[in-house]
Amino acid sequence: MCEVDTITKIANSLGVPPGEVKLNSEKIITRTNNSKTVSGFATILNTLAQESESEIARNSTASREISADVYQWIEFAVLYAAPGSKDKHVSQQLLRDFNKLFSTKSYLVGYFITLADLAIFYSIYNLVKSLSPVDKENYLNLSRWFDHLQQRPEIRQGGNVLNFTTIYLHGWATGTHI
Amino acid sequence: MATGTLYTYPENFRAYKALIAAQYSGAQVKVAENFVFGETNKSAEFLKKFPSGKVPAFETADGKYLSESNAIAFYVANEQLRGGKCPLAQAEVLQWLSYADNEIVPASCAWVFPLLGIMPQQKNSTAKQDTTVILSLLNSKLLNSTYLVGERITLADIVVFSSLLHLYQYVLEPSVRAEFGNVNRWFVTILNQPQVKAVVKNYTLCETALVFDPKKYAEFIGKSGGAAEKKQQSKQKEEKKPKEEKRKEEKPKEELDAADEALLLEPKSKDPFDAMPKGTFNFDDFKRSYSNEDESVSIPYFWQKFDPENYSIWFGEYKYNDELTKIFMSCNLITGMFQRLDKMRKQAFASVCLFGEDNNSTISGIWVWRGQDLAFTLSPDWQIDYDCYAWKKLDASSEETKKLVQQYFSWTGTDKDGRKFNQGKIFK
Repeated sequence: MCEVDTITKIANSLGVPPGEVKLNSEKIITRTNNSKTVSGFATILNTLAQESESEIARNSTASREISADVYQWIEFAVLYAAPGSKDKHVSQQLLRDFNKLFSTKSYLVGYFITLADLAIFYSIYNLVKSLSPVDKENYLNLSRWFDHLQQRPEIRQGGNVLNFTTIYLHGWATGTHI
Repeated sequence: MATGTLYTYPENFRAYKALIAAQYSGAQVKVAENFVFGETNKSAEFLKKFPSGKVPAFETADGKYLSESNAIAFYVANEQLRGGKCPLAQAEVLQWLSYADNEIVPASCAWVFPLLGIMPQQKNSTAKQDTTVILSLLNSKLLNSTYLVGERITLADIVVFSSLLHLYQYVLEPSVRAEFGNVNRWFVTILNQPQVKAVVKNYTLCETALVFDPKKYAEFIGKSGGAAEKKQQSKQKEEKKPKEEKRKEEKPKEELDAADEALLLEPKSKDPFDAMPKGTFNFDDFKRSYSNEDESVSIPYFWQKFDPENYSIWFGEYKYNDELTKIFMSCNLITGMFQRLDKMRKQAFASVCLFGEDNNSTISGIWVWRGQDLAFTLSPDWQIDYDCYAWKKLDASSEETKKLVQQYFSWTGTDKDGRKFNQGKIFK
């Protein structure tokens, strides 16, 4: 998903008008809303969070530490995750790392959904979408987190629900061994 | 929106359910002040509202009454917590509520309560295995789901979480919980929700598991047993006062509500002496020696092996000697008491003697048992006869005691008024 799409989706998730989002002449992403123009991915998300009154925006600014953590993940999403997800080798590493991370955490930052989750979610959406059922089986923790997010209507925004049926099969299978 | 008053003792995991739910829904739930467990909930006024006398109990602002923690939590919750609009999700919430009550709470109590010293240690307890089964099931469920029902926190999470609190606080040390990574992740996520943190304060995950400490339980039994004794003897208010104070000092955590007490009833039929250290004295060996050998051998053997640290010697004298008539009836009195104390046999020995003749006789005896306190308070089954006797603990090291033991164990001598030995009965 390109940066423009990601910003638009996140704005919608937060219940904020996306305004006009585009790459300027220097290929830097800008957003113009109410004749104010802001440029840069992280800066735009920050503005969106300030405009929004949604739960996700509130969570993302709960404390200075959380804001800083969230900011870090947004940078990671735009600088590393999004480009990396298009690379065959880097993407595998990304998936492994996220899977490991989500084995001990429900969300990226703190204990609730924040902008960090949204930024990473959209930046690796196409990568996860491209996974075969067997691939998904290797990343069960990541799949759980991803599925959790995509079930929220404000995040899915009418898109298709990616199928994680295999993990349900997995659940049944382990269930029978108890 | 629900408003009302919640009756509970502090840090009651069952009350947490309603308090957390109220944090989410915004329901105004006030915890009753001045609630004294065992007094407020036994008062006539309370029982009129809540016949079970159990806590938590909830009184709505408009004077309706609810008991049972899940029901209260359901009432003060909001639609989201109850599972939303979908009947299937609502049913799933109910499913987890039942699972928590039927599976998790019994296993957790059976494991943790003996360690807290509020329940005797059970032999062959399956609590650990049961807990492992529960955690494995939750672990595979939570591998694929962030929360138990749907994609939001519901009562299912709140209730299962509350039911696991003791386990995670006292026994699931890092090495034990390591294999249940998904449950840990979920538990910590719930624990750190602002709405949960507002209720569950000062909570830390277990670093090293509690180990069983027999002294703790002996103390607990001593306390509650002592209170029961007082109640029996007199109900005067003077006596009640120190009891009240004692109650306040007690840690609320160690207080049981009626439901826990019911849970405790089963294991109580087990040997109450289990709570005390075994020591070095072996009753069976001594009894064998006493039965098979002459007193000149068995009594020195007794003193050689006796362990005054963990065992005690008592002199029990019948209080109503002047009511004794026929010798055979008095003997039946003694043997009858022995029979009713059957479960004490393994951890006690006694020689009770009858002195004198028909219409002029006395009963007294020497008792030995495990522990330092009066053993009869350990079990309600043992309390039928003992208050007809005056009990005196003997100093095992004194010469006087040695003489008494010699006299009673060998069935010789006289009572203190010079009546001759008539018959003896041995409790072994």
